[in-house]
Formats: sequence, structure tokens, C-alpha cells
Amino acid sequence: MKNIKKGIAAVFVAIFTLTSCTEDESVATMNNVTLAFNNTFKGNTIVLGDATSTEATVNTSAEGQVHHFSELKYVISNVRLLNSDGIEVAYNVSDLDNGATVVDQSKEETLEYVLNNIPVGEYTQIKFGLGIETALNTLDEVSFPSFYATAGANDTQMHWEWGTGYRFTKIEGFYGADNNTLSIHSGSTVVGTEGAYTQGVDAYRDITLSLSENAIVGNNAPKIMIDADFDKLLSGEANTITLGDSNATPSIHTANNMVLFVDNIGGNGDDNITGMFSVNSVEN
Amino acid sequence: MKNIIRNIFILLLLVSCSHDDSEIVSYENPEISLVIPLGFPEFNNAVYNNIPTKYGVELGEKLFFEKKLSTDNTVSCSSCHIQANAFSDTNVQAIGIEGRLGFRNTPSVQNLAFINFYNWDGSRLELENQTLVPIITHEEMDSSILEVIGKLEAESFYKELFYKAFGDDDITADRIYNSIAQYEYTLISSNSKYDSIKRNEGKKFTEREALGYQVFQEKCISCHSTELFTDQSFRNIGFPINPNANEAGRSRVTGDPEDYMSFRVPTLRNIEVTAPYGSFGQFATLKEVLDYFDNGVLTADNLDPIFKDNNNRIRLTEEEKNYLIDFLKTLTDYKFIDNNI
Repeated sequence: MKNIKKGIAAVFVAIFTLTSCTEDESVATMNNVTLAFNNTFKGNTIVLGDATSTEATVNTSAEGQVHHFSELKYVISNVRLLNSDGIEVAYNVSDLDNGATVVDQSKEETLEYVLNNIPVGEYTQIKFGLGIETALNTLDEVSFPSFYATAGANDTQMHWEWGTGYRFTKIEGFYGADNNTLSIHSGSTVVGTEGAYTQGVDAYRDITLSLSENAIVGNNAPKIMIDADFDKLLSGEANTITLGDSNATPSIHTANNMVLFVDNIGGNGDDNITGMFSVNSVEN
Repeated sequence: MKNIIRNIFILLLLVSCSHDDSEIVSYENPEISLVIPLGFPEFNNAVYNNIPTKYGVELGEKLFFEKKLSTDNTVSCSSCHIQANAFSDTNVQAIGIEGRLGFRNTPSVQNLAFINFYNWDGSRLELENQTLVPIITHEEMDSSILEVIGKLEAESFYKELFYKAFGDDDITADRIYNSIAQYEYTLISSNSKYDSIKRNEGKKFTEREALGYQVFQEKCISCHSTELFTDQSFRNIGFPINPNANEAGRSRVTGDPEDYMSFRVPTLRNIEVTAPYGSFGQFATLKEVLDYFDNGVLTADNLDPIFKDNNNRIRLTEEEKNYLIDFLKTLTDYKFIDNNI
């Protein structure tokens, strides 16, 4: 079955390539779209730092807890752009090697993710996943060796081995006057197929953002500036969280605690489909 | 042009189909007929999608003992899953490459074809999906499936084994997972003294064993039920708590606070040779486990009702404990733990 799918994909690529070649080269038929992620606390770009850092950006939660991060990573996948005709352009949504990325605050180059060869048009909306949909969340190194390697690198550690899936977020840092450790990881533990899970928790969240102005793909390659406000982690629409012994360290890996954080930053998939994300601006 | 593309497509389909056909087991690689022992539950449904074959099992066994599955070629499945211990080991917690310490006790590998939840927390429901976990886990083999495939491809005899098992010599991830699961499905323990007695094969309990069996039926069987000696439920029975902050028991998987520090009721088959006991080897001996039950377990909101309703205890006299241990030893299957018997 996999072979058949690959075969179909190959034929589509062939058709696509052939069609493209016949077009007049002077008029762009496609161009890149860059997603630029700005990870902030209430709009202030986050500076990471260790426990005693004086440079790290310190945030105060709704419950008055100060906290800062030493590590901040999350996975973006399943990117789709909606054009002004209401047609959705899906970007390598079944291909983690070419359609997913790890945003890592400590690596500047990961803060911009370039979508290649997006068809010309005016785009009004962007959708993407925080995390990876269950069907693709299998640590399948054979199908997606490049993403597997990136996510599993020693300085990234986005493999969740016991669940044979990826970590969707990995946040390390410190909270409170005594700089206690916070370590908040999320990932899915579901078994089965979507709609018919037999057990577990789905930590994937689908995000939908309206663009502040249309992104015009043509001779120019637009850049969509996306803010991710990590203030929401503890002080979200869904949950106001006070960190303590029971939920700040890896015991948050218990899926029941984890979901509170996930709903805050990724929305609940129902009446909140933006989570911590918003579009700051579009550069055309 | 369109026709050419369509034809290519059809050709691709045909190639794929004929490829799939070749995986159908030929008469040269017969299926192994697994027998469900008397009183055992049905197979896990996954077994029917991965029915053991002669050469599939042979390959799986070879891989089970293959140290190349670990990144530094020092650890195989069989390093922790030792036959003499019903395919568990004697360590408190599992030990991987470079002496790295896992955070749980190695579970035995026996009668897995009949089990519906794998691992202490039931994170896996199909054995085929479990194989990758130890291969990639830092504290176990710390390798990757492509690294493993690369090493196996360098060995000509593996090409031959894969050919015999699957009809061509492609070494794929799924074939590795499936063949190891096939081998494990054949590890069925149902020939203990207890089984002989149940089957009226002429053996008899000693007086002490019989008394122990009575105690077992009074005080243990509600959880350790069926011929697997587990009802496969998850329960918090107030055992000492693993200090590793990653541990949450079943709730790590389900997200249900009711499952906090709940673990799968372990089988009691071959219990004599699977010490130490508990999810991270809290107890060195069966006597220690029984003393703990008798003295009282840790309290918890979700403590199992059997304990909650009885002052967190299972009362046992010293005599009862000794009888019980004698009975439990009748569950040792010497043929299973030693090929030479």
C-alpha cells in the first residue's frame, strides 16, 4: 500500500513538473512564503537563560509566579494556506521531511520556516499544527529520515521514545523566587486511528490564523510574522496554572497535567483555534 | 501524454501489487499453529494479522538474540529477557548499553499472544508496535531502525533469513518488528505442575501447595484471575513509589488521574524465577511482597477498592504466606525456562 501511495505521489510530482516547465518563465507561477516565528512573553521576544541568568526574559503569570525559560522548542507541521477564493493549498502535509519543522528558540535559523513553491495568489488565512497528527506521529525514520534526525539530535531531543512519537513541545526553565525547575513536555499518547482512538491523549492542536493583510504570492515572496506568546502557557484562556511539585517537573508528563498546558498554548480545537499564536504582520 | 502517465501509473500499481503478492506465505514457509492452552483467553487480534511462520519465527528468534540492535552492539533483547527467568532478568531496574539504568523492572516475555496491554502502563496494544521502543530508547539500546537495518544488510545470512521468511531479501522495519513479535508469540508457558494438575495428568498438589491454592483463591484471585493469572486490569495497589519523576503509571498514557500510579496486574506464571518484584523492583522476594500486603500499603485517592475497603491491607498469617509461596512455585514451567528439559 505504501508503495502505491509513493507511486501516486511520484506521478503527481511528474505531472506538476511537466506543467510547470511549459509555463512562460518570466511570469512567476509560484514563489516562497516565509513563516517567521517570534516567541514572546506578552510581546517581548524571549531571551533564554539558565537559572541565575540576568539576561533571560522573566515573565509573571496571572497567579503572580515569575518564570523564565532555558530551552524552548516546538514542532510545526501540516501547514495550509487558504487563498481568497477559499481554496486550501496544503504544504507537504503528509511529508514530515518537507512539511514539518522544529522551532528552537536557541537556533535563529529555525525561527523562519520557508514554504517553497506556493502557487501565486492572495492568501487570507494560514493553518498549521502545533505538533504532529497521529497518523504521522510514529517516529518513522525510514519514511522521514531527515525530520527524524533533526528532531532527535542531541541538542534537540524531540523524540518521545516510549510513545514512539515526537515531542510536540519541550520547555525547560525555572520558576518562583527559588528558581525551581520547570520541565514541560507535550506529545500524544493515543493509540488507534483518528476518531476511533482506543486509549490515550491527543496533544496535537490545529491552529487557524487570519492574516492581518493578504499575503500576495507573485513576483514577491511574502513573509508572515507569527507571534507565539508563551505567557499563555500558565495564563491561558483555558487554564490558569500555578506551578508546584505536582506539575512543574517531568511529572507533568502524566497526560492529565499535560493537557492543561497544551490547551493553553494550542487552543482546545473547539472555540479556541489560535492558542498562543497570532499574526503580527505580513510583509509582501 | 496523459495516456503515458496513466500507463506509468497502472504499471506502478501492477508492480506494487505483484510485490505484495510475493509476501503471501508460500508452502515453503508454513504457518506455525499456535494452540490456545486449556482455559487461556483468545489471542490478541494482532496475532491474526501477523501469524507466526516457520521462518518468520526463526528470524525473529535470531533478532531477539542480536546485539547489533543496540548502537554499540553490546545489548540484545535477550540481555534483559533471559529465558531462565521466564525472559525477564534479576536486576531491580533494566540495564541498557553502557550500564544505563532504565526506570522500570524488566517484565517477563511469556504468553504475550494472549495479552491485550503491553508494558507496565499498557502503552502498547500490539506487540508489533513495541519492538521499536527499546531499540531507540536512550537507556536501552539507543540505536535507530535505519542503523539496525544497515547493520543487518551487511550480513549475508540475514538476507537469506529475510528471504525465507518474507519471500524476498528486503530488510525492512516492519519485517523486523513482525518477526520479533512472531517469535515472542511462540513463547507460551502452560506446562507447570499447576497445569498438569488442572489437566488431570496424574500429578497432585502437596498438602502445603493445596493449602496455598486455597489462600490464593480467597485472597489473590480477584486480580490474578484467569489461566494467565492476571485480569489485565490496571490498579494502584499502594506499592512504594518510583522516585523517578517520569513515573506516573498508567496515567502517563491515559491522562486519567484515576490511573495515577496504576500498573498492569502482572502474571504470576513463573513468578518464582522473575524476582525482584514490582514496577521498579521494590521487593527482592515473594515473602517481602506478601509481608508488605499484610502490613499495609501506601494510601492514595485512587487506591484499589480491595485495599481501600480493608484498611489498606491483605491480612495473611505467616503460615498462609508460606503455603501461598509453595503454591506459587507450582506455576514454574521448567520446560519453558530451560530448553534442555
